[in-house]
Amino acid sequence: MADRSQSTRDDGTAEAGPAGPAKHEPLLRAEGLTRHFRVGGMFSKEVLHAVDDLELTINEREIVALVGESGSGKSTVARLLARIYTPTAGEIYYRGRPVRELRSRRDVLWYRGEVAMVFQDPFSAFNPVHRMSHGIIRNLALHRRELGREERWREAERVCESVGLSKRMLTRYAHEMSGGERQRIGFAQALALQPKLILADEPVSMLDVSIRAGILNLMVGLRDREDVSLLYITHDLASARYVADRILVMYAGQIVEAGPTETVLSDPQHPYTRLLLSAVADPRDADTDFSADTGEPPRVINPGEGCRFRWRCPYAIDTCETVTPRLRPLGPVQVACHVAGHLGEEEIAAPAVTEIRSRGA
Amino acid sequence: MPDPLLEVDGLTIEYLTDTADVRAVEDVSFSVGAGEFVGVVGESGCGKSTMLFGVAQLLSPPGEVMAGRVIFRGQDMVRLSAGELRHMRWRDYSVVMQSAMNALNPMKSIAAQFKDALQAHEKLSSTEIHERSASVLEMVGIDPAHLKSFPHQLSGGMRQRAMIAMALLFTPQLVMMDEPTSALDVVAQRSLMSKIRELQATLGFAVIFVTHDMHVVSRYCDRVLVMYAGQVVESAATENIFERPLHPYSRGLMDAFPTVTGPRRELVGIPGSPPDLAEPMSGCRFQPRCPVAMPVCAEVEPELYAVDSSEVRCLLYTDVNGLGETG
Repeated sequence: MADRSQSTRDDGTAEAGPAGPAKHEPLLRAEGLTRHFRVGGMFSKEVLHAVDDLELTINEREIVALVGESGSGKSTVARLLARIYTPTAGEIYYRGRPVRELRSRRDVLWYRGEVAMVFQDPFSAFNPVHRMSHGIIRNLALHRRELGREERWREAERVCESVGLSKRMLTRYAHEMSGGERQRIGFAQALALQPKLILADEPVSMLDVSIRAGILNLMVGLRDREDVSLLYITHDLASARYVADRILVMYAGQIVEAGPTETVLSDPQHPYTRLLLSAVADPRDADTDFSADTGEPPRVINPGEGCRFRWRCPYAIDTCETVTPRLRPLGPVQVACHVAGHLGEEEIAAPAVTEIRSRGA
Repeated sequence: MPDPLLEVDGLTIEYLTDTADVRAVEDVSFSVGAGEFVGVVGESGCGKSTMLFGVAQLLSPPGEVMAGRVIFRGQDMVRLSAGELRHMRWRDYSVVMQSAMNALNPMKSIAAQFKDALQAHEKLSSTEIHERSASVLEMVGIDPAHLKSFPHQLSGGMRQRAMIAMALLFTPQLVMMDEPTSALDVVAQRSLMSKIRELQATLGFAVIFVTHDMHVVSRYCDRVLVMYAGQVVESAATENIFERPLHPYSRGLMDAFPTVTGPRRELVGIPGSPPDLAEPMSGCRFQPRCPVAMPVCAEVEPELYAVDSSEVRCLLYTDVNGLGETG
């Protein structure tokens, strides 16, 4: 009995192989994505580097977690991808099409329909004078014009049910619903667009613990049932582990480590990933290297050359002061760190450092 | 055992609204010994903050203490006058509010706010005020140079630390904290919690710590009260509740969290939401959401039953048959 089930499963995977992720353009790809903000007074030369030279890919039916502290630029990335901000430099390709070139109203609407957003705070994301159906019906009217009046209402009921709410909720007002129900409506609103990608900016951080699990399960369900990809933005590695296929760790506007979820979490390479992990792990068996860390966000106003994590990094070496580390492959992951791969050795071998220095120059 | 620092006995708090009197806290009793770290856990709307405000005597209408006593160092705080309370507040016990963004005055520097609090209780020279302010800031790990800073110039974590520094100006015996870490991200939260624990160990004050995060509680508290719908549903030492949570609600709260280590398992959370306290209820208040509810749970309201060294409000831990007949 056990043998047979095993063999069918093998057959299943074998069949799924060629139809699965073949070599093609990912759903969304960002290259050298950069966003700077001018801060200070009118004549100030201070520039805040919110996102700097960031590479990112999201494949179809994939949940990618973007993890980092507050102030690391995670939300700016989501806003760049949603075209709320225009990038200072770099380009976003959606299905191979440069997003910057989408200019006509039709193209912009198409992109907004393909890439939807769910916001952090379900308590302020809804207009209190409208019923819950308002946003969903409006999205349907704008983006799916082929639907008639009644079809729109039926579709609104369908998305409402697909996020686990009763269709009666559509006639309610925001104040009549709990935080978890509102966040589900947020997802329903996004789903009404039939998007291929949902950008979820800390969708559970404002919710009570008991309903967080429901929203996390909903995200996994959307990937599995509706074939949607998600960019899940969070500061919590534990919930990222629960939902995500891949993890991108962000620090001070840059990706510092990227790789498959379990690999990154079981064997973190970047010191910052280790710090994040030690913050959620049990303190009784935690790494003591970070015991003095106060969780202060990095300064990203006019950052010079050098690693931005070096002030908090217990492993920093001289090279970190002068050369900005770039993402490099290290085993199954990518990491932007001069010392990663040498951590745990008594002393970092000098040749490795000179090698990096010459490459950086 | 010496007399506890704080003893709450049968505390009941109601919000008297036009349509209904909502009993937000019902018959809550517990005690806090000197230097003890007690956690209060529950979802939003379970009455934890109301309970804390009741203990600190900070309730404002329509909230009112309907019954019970709050004995702090031998005095019943419920019966004290506003003037008597004013002498005790901040000097003997202090409160750290949930959101430091709103709790600090945006128009005043940190030094000016510390000075206000100090001058309210003691006659001090300006050098003494500066010294005391600088020393408490240093205690919480902020450079005393920030005394001149305004709240908007500090990060969220630093503001929360400044609030804690302010609560320690007079080295009170009891500090009550209402979700001080909830608005912070994981690294800042971890660092703040270790700081609180360290200060508590060196200065010896007791802490009542309100949170919805079971994991924060598990690491830092000595004892935990789990609240649901205005009642204490479980009261136990931290090790016990963590290794063997008795109440199905405590178990639900623990299982609602994903972990970074160990096998990945499906999260269930707790379906539904806490009951509307304005509606009359019969039986166990958790019964509509309870995965192990029995028919009798809808009829008989459980009391707090002693199980080993813990107390739990659940019919699983009593002779249900006997109750069913009488109820």
